Amino acid sequence: MAGEPKNGLQCAEFDALLNEALDATLTGPKLESFKAHARVCAVCGPLFAEADAGRRWLKSLAEVEPPVTLMHNILVATTGYESQRVAVRAKGEASWADPITGWLRPVFAPVLSMSRQPRFAMSFGMAFFSLSISLSLAGVKVSDVRHVDLRPSAIKRTYYETTGRVVKYYENIRFVYEIESRVREFKKVTAPAVPTPKEQNKEKKDNNTSGQPEPRQERNYSQGENQPVLASLPNDPPVGTVTTYRRLS
Amino acid sequence: MEDAQVVARLVRRCVAGDVVAWEEIVQRYNRRIYNICYRFAGSGENAQDLTQEVFIKMFRTLSSYDVERGAFMTWVTTITRNLLVDHFRKSKQDRVTESLDTTPSEHEDAMPLSEKIEDKAPAADMSVQSRETGELVHTALQKLSPELREAVILRDLQDMDYKDIAKVLKVPEGTVKSRINRGRAELARLLQRTYRQVM
Repeated sequence: MAGEPKNGLQCAEFDALLNEALDATLTGPKLESFKAHARVCAVCGPLFAEADAGRRWLKSLAEVEPPVTLMHNILVATTGYESQRVAVRAKGEASWADPITGWLRPVFAPVLSMSRQPRFAMSFGMAFFSLSISLSLAGVKVSDVRHVDLRPSAIKRTYYETTGRVVKYYENIRFVYEIESRVREFKKVTAPAVPTPKEQNKEKKDNNTSGQPEPRQERNYSQGENQPVLASLPNDPPVGTVTTYRRLS
Repeated sequence: MEDAQVVARLVRRCVAGDVVAWEEIVQRYNRRIYNICYRFAGSGENAQDLTQEVFIKMFRTLSSYDVERGAFMTWVTTITRNLLVDHFRKSKQDRVTESLDTTPSEHEDAMPLSEKIEDKAPAADMSVQSRETGELVHTALQKLSPELREAVILRDLQDMDYKDIAKVLKVPEGTVKSRINRGRAELARLLQRTYRQVM
């Protein structure tokens, strides 16, 4: 029970000696009875252990470095006087990118920590290797990239040149040419027969719905040479006048 | 020449309007004050603002410093602590934790601090994997009540003796020792709980 004397030491006394024990300034019989009490007491024993652990944790904390601009800011805020020595140091050590880096660091920290893992590093390495091999095989040189003209007119010209080159290259490939000629032949074979001009005329006649008289045929092709002529009209038929009356009702 | 004498001379020069002496004082103490502010306030940004405020206050009240009444370091730490108290009162943390100057109630040990203080930190497993041990301890330190936090910071991080801490905190030495012990034990419990969650 707490407060009960154990090994000649009460819990309140133990508490008072705790700091000295942790600071290692407790010696002699007091230290012995302190240790004995800590071993026996269910309250003071864990308290001692926890306090000791806490002290160790705190001692493990390293001193933090103040920002390089701090001293400069303090001097400006207090005296308005900008020390040349401090200003030079602050300028030399801090850059404009520092605050941006400070913002971005927490955002990219998980990604960076993940990418540092061996398996991801290996994957990135392989990907880079593959890409560089592909570019080398394609004939792309990194040094050429520097000379690329990025003006809009130049980009347009480059685009048309490249397109023309690709089309020309494609059409000149023997394999493509052969395939195209085969396809043309196949189409010719499988396409339906082309109708004769006579049939075309007949179709035209049948389809004539305009009501206009057909143009006069110079020759009767349906008539054979040895077929008897049953009746015929003179070449110049009599011309009669036809009057049409329109009903105006 | 002893350090106290050097500082006393610097202060005299500074009060007389010597800007270089003031620069020397800032050079000597900015690191220490920044560290106290950083460990108490938790973030570098706040620590920077608070450190600047401390020096502005020091600059204005430097003439009131009496060499006979105590070490310059204790005086500087007292100013820092008072500003931290003001900052703490203004900040939102005031709602969830106890005030620095409130007298501890009789039943304050009835509930462990780990249960009293809301854990707003990200999931423990995430923080353990991504942060260094130092950051874990720093995070746990922010969960201590301000009265325990300031006591352990001054003792274990600034290596001040109990007498000076008592002067700065304006409480008896026995109270300082008790707060330090409770602060250390509470910190260990918080860290053990964090590690248990990770495991």
